[in-house]
Amino acid sequence: MRMPPFTLHTPNNLAKALALAAELDSFDWISGGTDLLPNYKWKLNSKPDVISLSKVQELTALSGTVIGAMVRIHDLANNDEVHPLIRETAGTIASVMIRRSATVGGNICLDTRCYWFNQTEEWRRSIDWCHKCDCDTGADCRVIPNQNTLCVATYQADLAAAFIALDATIHLASATGARSMPFADFFELDGMTRNVLKPGELVTHVTLPDDAKNWQGAYQKLRLRETWDFPEAGVAAAWKISDGKITGLRVATTGCESIPGDHSDLAQDALVEWVGKDSIRALAEDVRKAVKPVSNTYFPPAYRRKMLRVLTRRALAPLEHL
Amino acid sequence: MGKGYRQAPGKSGSSKKRTDGKREAGQQDFGVPGSGGSDPHSKLQDLDYVPESVGGWKKQPRGPHVHDQHVTGTTIGKSTPLVDANWKMTGQAQYGDDIRLPGELIGKILRSPHHYAKINSIDTSAAESMEGVFAVATGQDSANRFGVLPVTKDEHAMAREKVRHVGDLVACVCAIDEATAIDAMNAISVDYEVLPSIHDMEDGLLDSENPIHDRGKYHIGESNVQKRVFQQFGDLDSMESAPFRHEADWEVAGLHHGFTEPHAVVAHWDPSGRLTVWSPQQVPHYLHRALSAVLEIPMHQINVHRTFVGGGFGGKSDPFPHEMCAAILARKCGRPVRINFDREEVYWINRGRHPSRIQMGVFADDDGRIAGIETDALIDGGAFASFGHVTTYYNGVLHTAPYEIGGFNYTGARVWTNKPASGAMRGHGAVNSRCAVEVGLDAVAEQMSVDPMTLRLANLLPPHSRTITGFRITSTGMRECLAKVREQSGWDEKFRNMPLGRGIGVGCGFFISGSGLPIHWDPENFPHATVHLQCDMDGGVTVHTGAAEIGQGSDTAVSQAVAEVLALPLDMIRIRSKETDTAPVDLGSYSSRVTFMNCNAAIRAAIELRGKVMKAAHEITGYHPDVLVIGDRRIYYKHDPAVGVSWLEAVHKAQADVGSLIATGAYRTAPMGGVHKGAAAGLAPAYSFSAYVAEVEVDVETGFVKVIKAWAAHDCGKALNPLAVKGQIIGSCHMGMGQVLSEEMKYGRDGHLMNPDLLDYKIMSVHEMPEVVPIIVESNDPEGPFGAKEAGEGPLLPILPAVCNAIYDAIGIRIDELPVTPDRLHKKIEKHCKQTGVDDPLDLPVPRYEPSPLQQQLVERAEAHAARDYQRDIQDDRSSYVNGVLFGFDPDIPMSEQKEGWRESVTPTAEDLADPKKRAAKAWSHVERRHQGDA
Amino acid sequence: MSIHIRVPMLPGAGKETWQANVNGEAHEHLVESNAILLDVLRDQAGTLGVKRGCDMGTCGCCSVLIDGEPRLSCLCLAKESTGSDITTVEGLADGHHLHPIQKCFAEAGGSQCGFCTPGFLIVSSALLDENPEPTRDEIKCAIEGNLCRCTGYQQIVDAVEMAAAMKRDGVDTPDATGPKSDPHPLGPDQPSLPPGSSK
Repeated sequence: MRMPPFTLHTPNNLAKALALAAELDSFDWISGGTDLLPNYKWKLNSKPDVISLSKVQELTALSGTVIGAMVRIHDLANNDEVHPLIRETAGTIASVMIRRSATVGGNICLDTRCYWFNQTEEWRRSIDWCHKCDCDTGADCRVIPNQNTLCVATYQADLAAAFIALDATIHLASATGARSMPFADFFELDGMTRNVLKPGELVTHVTLPDDAKNWQGAYQKLRLRETWDFPEAGVAAAWKISDGKITGLRVATTGCESIPGDHSDLAQDALVEWVGKDSIRALAEDVRKAVKPVSNTYFPPAYRRKMLRVLTRRALAPLEHL
Repeated sequence: MGKGYRQAPGKSGSSKKRTDGKREAGQQDFGVPGSGGSDPHSKLQDLDYVPESVGGWKKQPRGPHVHDQHVTGTTIGKSTPLVDANWKMTGQAQYGDDIRLPGELIGKILRSPHHYAKINSIDTSAAESMEGVFAVATGQDSANRFGVLPVTKDEHAMAREKVRHVGDLVACVCAIDEATAIDAMNAISVDYEVLPSIHDMEDGLLDSENPIHDRGKYHIGESNVQKRVFQQFGDLDSMESAPFRHEADWEVAGLHHGFTEPHAVVAHWDPSGRLTVWSPQQVPHYLHRALSAVLEIPMHQINVHRTFVGGGFGGKSDPFPHEMCAAILARKCGRPVRINFDREEVYWINRGRHPSRIQMGVFADDDGRIAGIETDALIDGGAFASFGHVTTYYNGVLHTAPYEIGGFNYTGARVWTNKPASGAMRGHGAVNSRCAVEVGLDAVAEQMSVDPMTLRLANLLPPHSRTITGFRITSTGMRECLAKVREQSGWDEKFRNMPLGRGIGVGCGFFISGSGLPIHWDPENFPHATVHLQCDMDGGVTVHTGAAEIGQGSDTAVSQAVAEVLALPLDMIRIRSKETDTAPVDLGSYSSRVTFMNCNAAIRAAIELRGKVMKAAHEITGYHPDVLVIGDRRIYYKHDPAVGVSWLEAVHKAQADVGSLIATGAYRTAPMGGVHKGAAAGLAPAYSFSAYVAEVEVDVETGFVKVIKAWAAHDCGKALNPLAVKGQIIGSCHMGMGQVLSEEMKYGRDGHLMNPDLLDYKIMSVHEMPEVVPIIVESNDPEGPFGAKEAGEGPLLPILPAVCNAIYDAIGIRIDELPVTPDRLHKKIEKHCKQTGVDDPLDLPVPRYEPSPLQQQLVERAEAHAARDYQRDIQDDRSSYVNGVLFGFDPDIPMSEQKEGWRESVTPTAEDLADPKKRAAKAWSHVERRHQGDA
Repeated sequence: MSIHIRVPMLPGAGKETWQANVNGEAHEHLVESNAILLDVLRDQAGTLGVKRGCDMGTCGCCSVLIDGEPRLSCLCLAKESTGSDITTVEGLADGHHLHPIQKCFAEAGGSQCGFCTPGFLIVSSALLDENPEPTRDEIKCAIEGNLCRCTGYQQIVDAVEMAAAMKRDGVDTPDATGPKSDPHPLGPDQPSLPPGSSK
């Protein structure tokens, strides 16, 4: 498929990259390219300039608590130093061939997806476009018509759920400085804006709390095939056990809405009177209620919601007898 | 190497062993071409000693075979890597998009953004004036229709008055590079008038103001019904009153072949004015014909060059409009044009499995006989006819075997809708309804409390029988297939005996081995297949055939057949099967015809060539051909193998007066079948049979089904190349499991195809694929090449019902919707929980089995029938057993004298169509235009 | 008239030199800034064994080794691969000696139509370099990014197992150009025309 024309820039350090970003009017970052290039091939919001981060060495740090944005998913999944929950989650992303190119930053910043959006230019022309792309035609949302404000495209990245469950912090940088925030705060509830990144800003790395190694966790993912497919729903749970008691519990979801969901408050509430299996059931029901998928991915939304309940229960299964 | 025969160039051969004196004076000396082999020792082979394991003729499992005396080589029955494998291994195999000609231009196709619209005008001026654009073409450049079936030619290279689906071809351009071509394509402006489109197949049954096509006086009312079929055979009265019955209403999604190679075509008009088209085609001959019609040039002016085909499965067997476009553009601009599809365009051209709604009734009587099958199949043809005429028949007639049935009541209809066209796909027309029949049988067995395996075994048609609609069945290995999967899967311990969520199921299949009636001509005048052989001084044999190698191994099979008859090693056979210029006309690779028809033709050609060489050997040795044996590259005296001549010597002798040896062989099917309308649909010279058992695991909380293991027994008559047969069986399982569990063409609420890419069109990955145990059953078909029948499509059929029935065994839920995606199954599980009053699906009851007295009766009948079948296999009398005898039908008296209730009818009465629930039957409420005046 | 909002392809992006070592041969081509490696390999480097199946990273037909690691060339900007060593399916064989994986794919039936084969060969040869004795599950995980529509994968996994054994046992593949069968073999104990056979 023919790519739309653009100029590729490959700065070799972070400062140059950020400076370039400050200069350019309209551009996209590219890291692994496994999300951006298919979107470009489909002519989805392509830009005249693209800045590659492949040569920026500062973004490849990897340790037990620091994960650089340019770390490849394949390396993340196969590095013993990495938290088991992150490793497990990373190992489920797409296929091994995609994981060899895809990066942590790219996965975090994955564009939201929708059946009416992730299609070729010819296809989208046949539906008279949608508002996530070619908005200047005034095209409406095709999922929920007659509301031209919010995009309901789905955020289908796996890692976000694991990062939220482990209470990670995300670190951003731009020419004007660096900032960081709790991982869940990075996202903005709109399939078009997606996150808080300002023009010229990028994700540099993610850090886990120092005691992350004391947390265990599990990731459950709904997808038709055990490779290739994006999560239709994903639940990550992390917990800390001291003296045979659960002292901390966090739950996050992905693949259901335009942003990942942090349900740690629900989990925390559940901990108050923890009775094992029944508490898990109740919490799973709460998670289901908290999430409202729409009809724009492979499985119907009603099914995805119901499965959230099952996935949550299964993720928390190790806590049944505590 | 010490060969007395080798001659140096320029040296007379007279001092050598040529002592026959028949050489003409002045004949040129030559070095012996082709010598230099690493293995000069001939392996002795005597007809009396051909072991059974390589197809020996003495102790055939099912009696002697017509080709037994031609089993002289060692290639048949041996696992053989494909003869073209090394091209594929090294990346040198050229597929459609790998043909690069000097000066090529890139073609792009402008497609319709509307489901259904009238084209008011097309303005191509802006595109034409762009720099780097060489030609633009529209529907106005091609007036003539084409289509794969002569009776339903309804396609144009590009839309002329109307576009009929999103993605329908509107115009095409060729330019210096892809970027220019895309911009030029986008510069074409089209004025459309959008028409109301139809997407639901049931709407296609209704009258419409703007039918998608107009068939003139043959048009059925004002509807979008493209084809309708009505067939009633047998004792329908008894069927209707049968005590055991399972009636289901199936909804089956459309499917795409999912081949990995997108369509691509290169067209070039050479300086002499001849057109060559390179295309990955399953049927170069149909493309050859269509190009001739569209371009208005005689066929001899065209050479269709089949490239390597990156997967076909039926999806590359139509002549395609983009192939016409490339030829039209290349003609206009005088340079080669290459068009390569994006993946999405592959889905737009489609020709995949029809979305279908099938009402299936399976009936059984108190004796456990299958009293009848009642089918109403409405199939969604999309915007064009393609193979649909045939598909409409196949949905019914291909489930009249392998069981003996009391009655057969079929109504079928195919409608046009504004979707990409459906067509032929592996298991053409038979897959969906076969699944429904086999699930119905399972349900009926459940009602009768008998083992579904036994129910099948007690109701099989014997070898050499005639089905209820008149198909001639020769060999059948159905019983052996069932016995083998039963034993190997541990059926008796597992069936209805496993915990919730674990299940086992059986399904059977039956498929044509080549269509008895060729599409384009009368078999009285032309054979079905022709093969030419040529053997020159080098001693190697060139095979010319038009059979399209599409990865199934047809080049290998045909080479093997020739090698076997001539007792030559496979490396001495080279095959030329790519160009219509050099290949005899052939119907190509569809309907599982190649092994049966082309190998038969190849055997005949090889026998002719062998006769010539044997005659020469006779002249040299003095021994009559009857006492000469053709062994591995050596022909020798039967009673003293030391006396003989080499292959090359005999070939040279045979060439003495004629030069290069040539031989031709052809194959045509025996006359057969009934005389009723539609009797030819489904007729084949032989049929393959298969039985599969699948074991599944169902996650009752999520609805996920995982196939754990499958045992797949297929009767292919004789496995010419067991490696390839196993590959076909496993590959069929993969494709069939895809259809039953995940694959579908999803159409959105406005009729748009939502998943035209390989990420969203869910083909199974390596992780979903269970272990498949391929079991080859050899029934030694009396007419097949060395006993062989097809193995490419039939093996797909049984896996679908086997999985569906296994799901029932696991959780007690009957499937009537495909694919069984987790969300669909989960819905059914929820409903089932409600019905059974269970809160947690993990508490669902599991079906169990308590045999009824009928079971023993069936066991006894199955045993008696097994003995009957064995006798029929080995006896000399091969006259047909007639379906219905089990039910009291007397084959010796005419239909009118049979007991009341028996009938044979292909024209419906009002009463036949009265059932308001039947969908396809409604197609008969319209009157064809040509008959409207009579009303 | 229907709406025409399309991303224009012209004028194309600026061109720069791309150089890489493809199958041991130095290549230098002028490529556009937005060029995809798959296109450069097929259209400019002439390695047509690299196949375009889906163009979106699903089918794996376009897999090549970049500096020894299997990568999807359809999702790789050409410019990002500048200076690398690239191996395509054409580079697997040693002259006319097939790579063991190639021989085993042919013999085990790991290839039918052959279109996905280059990708599978690349991915599995890399697996064997990294893990000479893979289990069946490890093989499956290594090829999970490649799609085959013909074989149902079973014979592909067989082929990789077979190739692992072949490499382990140090079996060489034969030279494909070696002499084939001799059409004029001698008889079992006798010269080609036995005495007294001619009239």
